Amino acid sequence: MMEILANFWAEFGVFAYPALFNIYFTVTALPAGFVLALLVAFGKNSRNPVVSKLCAGCIYAFRGSPLFIQLFMFYSIMLALNPVWWRPMGISWLMMHPLFIGPLVVVLNTTAYTAEIFYGALRTVPRGELEAARAYGMSSWQVFRTVTWPNTIRIAWPAYTNEVVFVFHCTALIYFTLPVIGDQKDIMSKARELFERDYNAVLHFSMAALWFLAISLVIFFVFGRIYERLMRHTSLETAKPKLRFGPKYLR
Amino acid sequence: MKKVIIAAAALAALSTAAQAQTVRVGTEGAYAPWNFVNDAGELAGYEIDLANAICEHVGLECEIVQNDWDSIIPNLLAGNYDVIMAGMSITEERMQTINFTQDYFPPDPSKFVAAAGADFDFDNLSGVRIAVQSNTIQAAYAQENFGADNTILSFATPDQTIADLAAGNVDLILADGSFLDPVVTNSGGAIAFVGPDVLIGGGVGGGVRKEDTELLATLDAALDALKADGTVDALRAQWFDGVEPAYTE
Amino acid sequence: MDATWLAQWVGEDIAFWLAYLTNGKHLQWYASFRFTIFAAVFGALLALGFGLLGAVLKSSRFAPLRLIGDAYTAMVRGIPDVLFFLFFPLAFEQSVEWVWSLHVCTPESIAASQAPWPPCREANWLLSTNEYLILACFSLGIVYGAFTANVIHGAMRAVPKGQLEAARAYGMSNLQVLLRIQVRQMWVYALPGISNVWMLLIKATSLLSLLQISDIVWWAGQLGAPNFLPQAGLVHGDWRWTYYIALFVFYILVTLISERVFRRLTVWARRGMPVEG
Repeated sequence: MMEILANFWAEFGVFAYPALFNIYFTVTALPAGFVLALLVAFGKNSRNPVVSKLCAGCIYAFRGSPLFIQLFMFYSIMLALNPVWWRPMGISWLMMHPLFIGPLVVVLNTTAYTAEIFYGALRTVPRGELEAARAYGMSSWQVFRTVTWPNTIRIAWPAYTNEVVFVFHCTALIYFTLPVIGDQKDIMSKARELFERDYNAVLHFSMAALWFLAISLVIFFVFGRIYERLMRHTSLETAKPKLRFGPKYLR
Repeated sequence: MKKVIIAAAALAALSTAAQAQTVRVGTEGAYAPWNFVNDAGELAGYEIDLANAICEHVGLECEIVQNDWDSIIPNLLAGNYDVIMAGMSITEERMQTINFTQDYFPPDPSKFVAAAGADFDFDNLSGVRIAVQSNTIQAAYAQENFGADNTILSFATPDQTIADLAAGNVDLILADGSFLDPVVTNSGGAIAFVGPDVLIGGGVGGGVRKEDTELLATLDAALDALKADGTVDALRAQWFDGVEPAYTE
Repeated sequence: MDATWLAQWVGEDIAFWLAYLTNGKHLQWYASFRFTIFAAVFGALLALGFGLLGAVLKSSRFAPLRLIGDAYTAMVRGIPDVLFFLFFPLAFEQSVEWVWSLHVCTPESIAASQAPWPPCREANWLLSTNEYLILACFSLGIVYGAFTANVIHGAMRAVPKGQLEAARAYGMSNLQVLLRIQVRQMWVYALPGISNVWMLLIKATSLLSLLQISDIVWWAGQLGAPNFLPQAGLVHGDWRWTYYIALFVFYILVTLISERVFRRLTVWARRGMPVEG
């Protein structure tokens, strides 16, 4: 019994370093994806039909195809561009690095999903509030800052939390598609490597699952706290929809 | 990961095949000219021909099973196939888990290739990006000798190393000479051999489970006979340009 | 393939490419779409089955069953689908081998076995592509069944209470109410969610190659890989990006078509119902 526990504990530690890579991919991809998504959502909401169609098309393409294919596709495209662009520009070391391409593809992917969330939320911003703000003589930036943005983010936050967890989970696919440098392996590829060594599927995969689960719970907790802050103006118990574990299951 | 895909159920030419015992041969199918999928969509190459020759000689039925390189030894042990013929070098480390037949390709030096015109100081190599296939003798060698000062990129298939070298994403590939020869020859001068040859590992042999001593003896006897009658050298000459006969006088 | 007669009609270049795109290797690629389609269809059917089961468990009045249902649906929120996808077939295979080994293994055969798994050679269960495909369908069914369970659970509660009460007033039993009213009516409310799960599921079918199934992604990599050996076929550089773009477009088209179909389905399911909003 003690031996099993000791084994388990040793195995737990093995995944700490690989977990950093999943966290790295998530943390680097999210901020860029967030900002881009906001722009694309406004683009899709734009009155200019060209901009609107373009943004809608991008969202559709990246939501309509698997990340697994996107990763393969982008690596091979970046590779094809390497001799003509990246090398002459001297940025090959950056552009071809898995730690760059991984987040890049995840950013494109999450931008599409997040933009759709923001787009949906944007359309629920009350017209009356917008009109009132304009009647006060606010500039369009002021309208955005005081009316559009607070409304959008509050509506979008639960769905966005969900998206963040999805992003964290989809980082598991990255090292199935990109070359591995040295011992830079994420949780999934580490689990697979260990499995191929001793065929102990239950131990390795359940430990990997445990790590994913634990970090997902941390994400839910942190984002739940932020949500409480966002909703702090609403009356305490009544109006506040509580952010539960997995409020929205679909991506 | 276990799997049996019969990409090409290569039958021995024996008409009694129906009663014959089947030997399943595991191969990677992505390592030209050793074993690969040709444009007709069939497994082909030196080892496929050799496997069929062996089976014909001993009157067994051959079934070629394609399996990814990374899991090729675990799946042999698990029993998904009986012999590995996948350009696998005979090494001490592998000998601890599996047995090897006698070599059917003599020790073949590993070589470096780079884009034509590139030059490296191999005595103190540093800051260079070296591509290898993961879980190969070259991967271990590169990690041990160059890992400290250089970047080692490991790829799942050998094709990917070539693609990345051609696109300038890596500076060097370390791989078997026999695999790199046709690449250099047919690259139109874009890819060239550089640096010293490195002798890692022994010749290439078939890998069998340790308990299958009978099969090992059968295969060794068959290889003896096929080497003596010149079949092995003829096949080598057919698939590898400019190799010297190694097993016949 | 002899394409000289074709060349007279369409010119050398086009004839060459047509011949190239229909060589044996490409034909195998086209044929491998069957794995993807099979996995999508049967994965979806199983997901629907698991989803119904999960939803029934979730709305059970018996607390332990409810707990199982909740745990099942919550699990997919914390663990990536790819992990299940790899783990389930392996775990299933190993448990079968373990049970089998209790019957067939002797201490001697266990001692003789070199491999860490299975316990002895006789207990090895050899899986081929077909078995892996079926197991892959089950993994898809389990993972996306959890999503479906949530959708169906929500939809069942969306059925207007009045209808259920009316049914009970007609003297229907609880089971009759469940089957004839609740399950029948809920499809309308569940369809948007189910369409969403279907979109996720078809995207997950791209992962088949991780189970060593030679699916469309595996063949795309094989076809695009640079070839320098004339004996192996056309000598070419790295063409993988073209094949991956083709797959990218393929999946977008499938999404597009699915969306159309589900829109039709929704219109059909809502027939006779009052227009909302």
